[in-house]
Amino acid sequence: MEHRLDGKTNRLSLSKRKDTWAAWSFLVPASLFLFVTSFLPLLYSAYLSFFRFKMNLPKAVPLFIGLENYARVFTDSQLATSALNTLVFALASVSVEMALGLMVALAISGDGKINRVALAIFIVPMIMAPVAAGTLWRMMLDSATGVVNYLLSLLGISGVSWLANTTTAMVSVIFVNIWQLTPWVTVVVAAGLKALPQDCIQAALVDGATPFQVFRRIVLPLIMPLLTVILMIRFIDAFKVFDTVYVMTGGGPGLATEMLPNFIYKQGLKYFDAGYAGAMAVLFVLAMTLVVLLFVKWRSWEEAKL
Amino acid sequence: MSLKRKYDFTSPHGILSNFAGRPVKVALIVLSMTVVLFPLYWLVTNALKLERDYLAYPPVLIPKEITFESFVELFEKNAFASSLATTLIITAVTTLLCVAIGSTAAYTLARGPIGRKAKNIFGVWFLVQKMYPAIVTAIPVFIVMRALRLIDTRFSLIIMNTSFNLPMIIWLMMGFFEQLPISLEESGMLDGAGFYKRFFYLILPITKPGLISAAILTFVATWNEFLFSVILSIKRTKTLPVIIAGFITDRGLDWGPMAAASVLMLVPVVLLTFFLQKDFVQGLAMGAVKG
Repeated sequence: MEHRLDGKTNRLSLSKRKDTWAAWSFLVPASLFLFVTSFLPLLYSAYLSFFRFKMNLPKAVPLFIGLENYARVFTDSQLATSALNTLVFALASVSVEMALGLMVALAISGDGKINRVALAIFIVPMIMAPVAAGTLWRMMLDSATGVVNYLLSLLGISGVSWLANTTTAMVSVIFVNIWQLTPWVTVVVAAGLKALPQDCIQAALVDGATPFQVFRRIVLPLIMPLLTVILMIRFIDAFKVFDTVYVMTGGGPGLATEMLPNFIYKQGLKYFDAGYAGAMAVLFVLAMTLVVLLFVKWRSWEEAKL
Repeated sequence: MSLKRKYDFTSPHGILSNFAGRPVKVALIVLSMTVVLFPLYWLVTNALKLERDYLAYPPVLIPKEITFESFVELFEKNAFASSLATTLIITAVTTLLCVAIGSTAAYTLARGPIGRKAKNIFGVWFLVQKMYPAIVTAIPVFIVMRALRLIDTRFSLIIMNTSFNLPMIIWLMMGFFEQLPISLEESGMLDGAGFYKRFFYLILPITKPGLISAAILTFVATWNEFLFSVILSIKRTKTLPVIIAGFITDRGLDWGPMAAASVLMLVPVVLLTFFLQKDFVQGLAMGAVKG
């Protein structure tokens, strides 16, 4: 076929084909990297989930046990508790972060100097290592010597054992997450508010709309798609919580602050039960995928409304 | 005109003060700043307190005397210096690797002459990778790294950190590339510039802010990464977060050095995000838009 084309077309199609090869050469390294370091381990997890495999024994051979690990997932009351804890943690921390983050973003949405300083300060908690934030708050919440209890004692409230009591331990862990990540919501929403069409808002004001109406009818609908995405990112991230819990409570007291990542970690690397950890990992990914799909549906619905 | 001045949404007063009143706005700012700043103040002062002061009860709110004793103790005892170097090397290499192979992959997905279907498949795959929790690969990765004798090496941590950050970088950079006018590449194509030439000479120079955003986000995430550091290190490659977590004992009284370590860990990322604040914030915002 080639010889029938004139020289020019031939050269063009040749350079096009060269471009396609070049484009693939850009995509292949990252894809191969992710396939080997992320996708294969997940497959290996799925494979192990059908086996009993005690990985601390040097010569251990995986023993096929079918769906036994999955049956265990649905009867393990400790796992049910951690799943419930994770859900409570995610719902509580994310809803407070969204509400508070939006309010503070609206408060600092201007261009003044105070707003810029506030924004710079809000960045600090979110770039702090979660481990460092957890240890810092553990120090501050110490029931005997902590500064939080000291300040509360000035108000007449005495001796809360923050991390030793089941309810307050959960509240503390949620609070530290709120402390770290409300600023993230604030900064992203503030950036979104900056990008709003000002003339539209001004026109509404000229037409006699009250500021609250402007917020309710113009600002809020316009940033709703952004808020949906922020909600999704925060919600998914909340399910990955590990570092702060690890240093603050280690999941305790008892199982009070045990979350799914910490639970899987313990089953795999403390009790060395790779099969059971694998089964939980597979179900965890499936559940997260479902959540993501729901959010994606919701977002396209939000965008269609605009 | 007066109306515009009264309810100017771009004014320093902020949107909230327009309908909730100025006092509400001021109260909210003051309160949130206090809650954010007090713990940071407490961290820094405890790092600088004398031992009797950071152990004292009632706590010493404003230290009368400061000392660098905790910092000195840190560098003397805990192999802190080598951990600092390890963390820095792992973070730097991961950042470079991520930006290099992430931005190129993103460019192909955004503008490469490959089929639409292929783009969608890869795009969705990277999105799913971005979403799922790191813990689900932790145990198999541990088993494989142990079999390959890569536990306690910087190499294994660089590989895994790159693996977590790549999907994020790819999606972020796709957003930046898609914003560019397509006419730019068309003119390059007319001039006979091939794919590589167009990327390196036309596109890359004008997406520098995007690359910087991607680099900062990777740097911060890798610098702070804990889960895989704790799983894949035994002795030689303990990163700073692992060292800080190690301060937590049943006695738990080593607050001074613990605070000093956290301060030292916080300084580089604070400086980085402070000087490149615009790019950092833009990266966060773009990340949310591209979800």
